[in-house]
Amino acid sequence: MSKNRKEKKGAPAPAEAEVKTSAAENTQPADDLDIFDFDDDPLGATGVSRKSLVIFFLIDTSGSMRGTKMGELNTVMEELIPEIRRVGEADTEVKVAVLTFSTDVKWMYAEPIAIEDFEWARLAASGVTSMGEAFKELSARMSRNSFLNSPSLSFAPVIFLMTDGYPSDDYKEGLDALSKNSWYKFGLKAALGIGSEANDDMLAEFTGSKDTVVHAYSGNQLAQMIKIVAVTASQIGSKSMTLSDQNEAELSDEDVYAAKQKMLGQQIQDLVKQNESDDVSFDTGW
Amino acid sequence: MTELKIGQEVELEYGGKAVVEKVIGSGGQGTVYLVEYNGMKWALKWYDIAKIKNPAEFKNNIKKNISDGPPSNKFLWPRYMTKDAADGTFGYLMELKPDSFDSFVDILNTYKLVVDPLTGRAHKEIVRFTDLHAMVTAVINIVNAFRQLHRAGKSYQDLNDGGFFINVDTGAVLVCDCDNIAPDGSNFGIGGKPGYMAPEIVRGLSKPDVQTDKYSLAVVLFKLLFRGDPMEGEKVVKDVCLTEAAELRHYGADALFVYDPDDTSNRPVRGIHDNVIKFWRMYPDYIKDAFIQSFTAGLHDPNKRIIENEWQQLFIRLRSEIIFCTCGRTNFTNMFEMQDRSTYRCPKCGMTFATLQFSNREYLMPLYIGSKFYECEVYPDSDDFLSVAGELVENKLKPGVLGIKNCSERSWKVRMPDGAIYDVAPSKGCPIWKGLEINFGEVTAKLG
Repeated sequence: MSKNRKEKKGAPAPAEAEVKTSAAENTQPADDLDIFDFDDDPLGATGVSRKSLVIFFLIDTSGSMRGTKMGELNTVMEELIPEIRRVGEADTEVKVAVLTFSTDVKWMYAEPIAIEDFEWARLAASGVTSMGEAFKELSARMSRNSFLNSPSLSFAPVIFLMTDGYPSDDYKEGLDALSKNSWYKFGLKAALGIGSEANDDMLAEFTGSKDTVVHAYSGNQLAQMIKIVAVTASQIGSKSMTLSDQNEAELSDEDVYAAKQKMLGQQIQDLVKQNESDDVSFDTGW
Repeated sequence: MTELKIGQEVELEYGGKAVVEKVIGSGGQGTVYLVEYNGMKWALKWYDIAKIKNPAEFKNNIKKNISDGPPSNKFLWPRYMTKDAADGTFGYLMELKPDSFDSFVDILNTYKLVVDPLTGRAHKEIVRFTDLHAMVTAVINIVNAFRQLHRAGKSYQDLNDGGFFINVDTGAVLVCDCDNIAPDGSNFGIGGKPGYMAPEIVRGLSKPDVQTDKYSLAVVLFKLLFRGDPMEGEKVVKDVCLTEAAELRHYGADALFVYDPDDTSNRPVRGIHDNVIKFWRMYPDYIKDAFIQSFTAGLHDPNKRIIENEWQQLFIRLRSEIIFCTCGRTNFTNMFEMQDRSTYRCPKCGMTFATLQFSNREYLMPLYIGSKFYECEVYPDSDDFLSVAGELVENKLKPGVLGIKNCSERSWKVRMPDGAIYDVAPSKGCPIWKGLEINFGEVTAKLG
């Protein structure tokens, strides 16, 4: 449409290059332009530019995950996608990226996929646990030039790590690389330890706090925990911070720093406790 | 017992039980279920009381709202309170949103996801206003709903895009999430959404009240008309990652309107904010000036915000300035050319439109088959912006002869070509001619 305008407009019109770079054009009143030359349908709108959120799943597919753990994980992830679609705020575009690590580190798809179109590709388990490599790969991709390239605003990503064992490589080196990445720094991090081998302290190093680390010992728990963490994290991650009107003084940057991460920790802990107490009342008293 | 199960019964305060059928949605304070009560379907909002600061106070406020009743039929108002569950949890019943209404968020996204109940697969369905008249009517209805609420001495508190449903064919509006509505000045500890909340709330300096509602209302109207965020431009997008601190700045102390006439540093960005750029060129100045006022002077000074009645007048004017041209082009009069001082001309097809000049306003009303004026526009004692007072129609017995039909219940006096004055009774009409004068009582109109 700008081409048409160019042809018709005489001297007062700015040069093509200026039109592109200068915001002044946008402020010009309609009658300064050839108003009838552009798409002037008052109902012809595109969707409001949405904020975007990428949810990263980092999944351990080493040999020890084989069997029930992998079966359970595949099933719950398939079921989870529609559920996340439902909880994500409608004014946020949610995308999913899945990074698996065993001997090799692999992305399920070449780029993050919109949640509406995402289909879970079932994972198989074999090999060792190259978690450090996974951290490095994640750090490389969590960049404006790679996976986080939405032209509009992005919320800090959700990063959810699931593993059943101790890394077989130097995870500290990977974590070092990751911790220099600001997307990681501001991201919502959560981790799930599966079975007795998984080390919760190590996972807390990754998430930055114990509150966002949960543990599952049975298949049933695994499904529950994945749902709790993934749903809560996408709920919190896909919306603006919730303001409370209970403040005493003007909020500063420090007051709101990592507010969402704190909220995530709190809600995960509440839900885990609720589920534990549900378990007790379900089993006992008969 | 935060969550209810399918088939579970919930006792109501005044007797009877509601049976839970399914989850409809969930929000920050609880979950909404579809329930059956007394043979009818209702929506049950069931709270997670852990997320409410003072549940007893909160509940009393809802009870008060139930007994006060809704300010008008534009509200999906709480109707029946449930009894408290053993752990103190409670909820209330409200009417269900009719299927013919779409959520404001879907309208902004221009589509909704419809899930096939059999396969579970979701597909996109377009959501868009049927015509410009319906859209401007929706705007007037939203403004009017808040005018009524504020006149009842209450404030909505957490006005945002989740709070409305709109019928895209008629422009009818339903305001939902009415449970935080409270007498102006009281608060029961609600959370809010930066971007919709007034900067002083984002910053933690004030609590929600009628004045902060006015800011949120301007945001909602801006989003509906310009299809973008009034504070999201170049300056904000530069930040890339919207951290908590960034939100606090961009919607709080450093908020800057994208079309602030004195500061161009936050203009909309081509490729991201194309809607805002396009629509800002199309709307008439009096609409743009009202938004500039709201988001510059009114940004940090609540008393400078546009009041609902003013919005209502502006949008009633905007509705009367719509032209549906026979070539299919629909737009406001400022996007048409003036052939002479009282005739509009379509720049695309050359079609011309005669106008009515009313004695109570400066702007002209274009005439075409189906153009209407409303009671509030010709009877100063009426606030009714939905009842048509007059409409341009074709005479049913004399095809090709156009005239104005009196759709109101009052008689008009009309000057005819012979110079004499005739009465036009309700449901009668008069042909239009150059020189036509209609006397509605206090207001007169002349055909140009």
